[in-house]
Amino acid sequence: MDFSLNDAQREWQTKARKFADEVIRSISLARDRILDPRETWDWEIIKQGSKLGFRTLAVPKEYGGPGADFVSQALVMAELARGDSAISKAFSQNWKWSHLISSVCTPEQKARFLGAFMADDTFVLGKGITEPNAGSDNRLPPEEDPRSGVRLKAERHGDEWVLNGEKCFIANANVGKLFFIDARSNPNVSIKEGVTMFLVPRDTPGFRSGKVFNKNGWRFYQNAEMIFDNARVPHANVIGETGGHSNQDKGERTGGDLFGDLELAANALGVCMAACESAMTLAKSRTQGGKLLVEQQTVQLKIGRMNMLTEALRAYVMRVAWEHDQKLPSTNAGFVMNYSTEVIQEVTQLNMDIHGGAGFTMDAQANKLVRDGIIWTHLAGDTVQRMKVVRRLTKSK
Amino acid sequence: MYDLHLSAEQLEIRDTVREFVNNEIKPVSIKPARMEALDRRPPAELLEKAAQMGLRTLALSEAQGGAGADGITACIVAEELAAGDPDVAAVLVETSTLAHILFDQLMTAEQRERFLPEFVKNDALQLALADHEPDSDTELGVNYHRAVTVAPATRTTATRAPNGDWVINGVKSFVPNAPLAGLFAVQVKTDSKAPTGQGVSTVLVPRDAAGVTIRELEQGAGWYHGLRGDATFTDCRVPAQNLLGSEGASPLAAGLEAAGRGLPLVQAMNIGVGRAAYEAALEYAGIRVQGGRRIIEHQAIGSLLADIAIRLEVARTMVWKAAWVADHPAAVADRSVADLPLQTIARVYTAEAVHQVALDAAEVFGAMGVMRDMPLQKYVQDALIFLHSGMSSDDGKLRIAELLAQFRRS
Repeated sequence: MDFSLNDAQREWQTKARKFADEVIRSISLARDRILDPRETWDWEIIKQGSKLGFRTLAVPKEYGGPGADFVSQALVMAELARGDSAISKAFSQNWKWSHLISSVCTPEQKARFLGAFMADDTFVLGKGITEPNAGSDNRLPPEEDPRSGVRLKAERHGDEWVLNGEKCFIANANVGKLFFIDARSNPNVSIKEGVTMFLVPRDTPGFRSGKVFNKNGWRFYQNAEMIFDNARVPHANVIGETGGHSNQDKGERTGGDLFGDLELAANALGVCMAACESAMTLAKSRTQGGKLLVEQQTVQLKIGRMNMLTEALRAYVMRVAWEHDQKLPSTNAGFVMNYSTEVIQEVTQLNMDIHGGAGFTMDAQANKLVRDGIIWTHLAGDTVQRMKVVRRLTKSK
Repeated sequence: MYDLHLSAEQLEIRDTVREFVNNEIKPVSIKPARMEALDRRPPAELLEKAAQMGLRTLALSEAQGGAGADGITACIVAEELAAGDPDVAAVLVETSTLAHILFDQLMTAEQRERFLPEFVKNDALQLALADHEPDSDTELGVNYHRAVTVAPATRTTATRAPNGDWVINGVKSFVPNAPLAGLFAVQVKTDSKAPTGQGVSTVLVPRDAAGVTIRELEQGAGWYHGLRGDATFTDCRVPAQNLLGSEGASPLAAGLEAAGRGLPLVQAMNIGVGRAAYEAALEYAGIRVQGGRRIIEHQAIGSLLADIAIRLEVARTMVWKAAWVADHPAAVADRSVADLPLQTIARVYTAEAVHQVALDAAEVFGAMGVMRDMPLQKYVQDALIFLHSGMSSDDGKLRIAELLAQFRRS
């Protein structure tokens, strides 16, 4: 067993830490305080981070990207999230889907989209699955029931598909330039067979983004509605085969789904690191009755638990990243995401406990970390995610 | 003997307050600015309507013009009000509690004559206890089980003028109800030579006394419910007869809950927040269909709702027990109930239970559970405020532990 990082991995880690310390931290709380959810996004920080390679980190070298391995990706996500969880997610969201472009798109699709993505510092990606009545419904559908799951309608007219319907809570919907959209190409069969994935560029006629959701955490990150009103997409933008949705992201073991699980866990690790630092800084500087808080047993026990959980999460995150790099099949990506939900919430709560002893005010960062941590429960239906992992476990040999 | 029946009167009060909350408070509390907690200021017209119903003077004895509600009734009303809006509830509960303590228990007949008629008559007047001072702390954490005082330092002073008047100087911070109060009970140091926690008296100061300045705290600045303000006293003169109780022995030295055996009204409000979250989750789970059935029919959601119901029932049982024992101290003397600070026990348990209740209820709503235009995230935020304001769970546990160890501060 060898837990050491190689030079490239350490370099990415250091670069991300520096960016978090020097740039992200300086705007994090101010962005969090902005009340209008449409105004929290900041293109400047996206451009700065993009120039450092954080937007395109996962694009393989053969397509002109840095081709960072999963261990490096996990390190970068954690370090950026230590500065601001939502800003880290704004970068890593692009990796999730650039994985998909490079692994399942045709050479022609790659030529059209990957180059543009690489060249433009403001080119961000999104994926539309969830709909007002199809959230958990996509993950826990009644077997073979054609009525469950996504309803966004896709009808073929010659060389074009016409999309009608809406998506909600879609990450980057109002800022992205290219989206992966799951649509119902056959309403008479279950979502396993009746859903097709399309590449939908922002300027697609008939497509627009709608309301930006006013989340209580992850304020920077934009989740919005997508409205398709006779949106016309060329057949050349179909990913894989028509009706072949389930073989695209879920089947590709380093694609969207499994990467997404690691992504949330690595991001949570960064938030926990920030919470541990915040608690220790306070405990070593604030006094009560002339003694530092850190001298109190109740405070020591909380700090101990925070660090213990954070280190356990770190070990698990790095193991899963390593397993991804070794292409080892396992259910650990799902489990580490589930575990990270519990850890991020307990650790940020304990940090708030330590800060809250002071009475009638609350430290703004401690409050933000708790609000960001609560997002984990609501991201993709925490309970549903837990059951999804067990389904994988049940099926694995 | 064990009797959980509420009286016909208690049931009627509960129904009346619930109706008031549904018809008058909830339409205000679901306004966007209130749900986002940008504007938490209790609307004056709601407070006055509540006062007309007798909720401002709920605990004040009937002889003095109040409703004379017992502890359980006060807790029921606090829960109902907070299920609608905890900030409105906090103002009314503070005034009702202080009205009973000041007018029924502590004032002389002469003081009552001067202060009571105006208070009873004017529905807009609230009461305030000006106790907390900037940077003061009980320091219980470091002083757990140590033979030192844990009373916070009182730096506000009251000295006698040649004619016997009290002259008050000092600053009180985060005073509940300060911006709305017509009368303040002010904790002052009257013996400058006494050690910390001693030589403290209580002086009654009307809002319109010269030298009183109230600054309402900014919305969102504080981590508390209700309306608070800083109160500055600059050569503020009140007559010698405004001393409450005797000099150097403030009857309010322990605050309103420090002894841990008072009425668990904050806890009852805390339950109100949890109940609002529970009712929202239960209703939604019965409507929302995913995976081919209403989500309440899924085991995962069913178990979650059961957890919520269990926590709320256990917490309310503890709160009502603490309330009943506060009204019947003989039950401790005759060994019917354990000699423990039940108010503090209720506080620690309820704050933690309702926090989990609010998180679980929000989970039922999926993504909508974290949106600022839905009430669930506000219930979570309100639960966090109960968990982390005033006495913390840590301090509460240390206070309980000192009693378990039969440790007494001299």
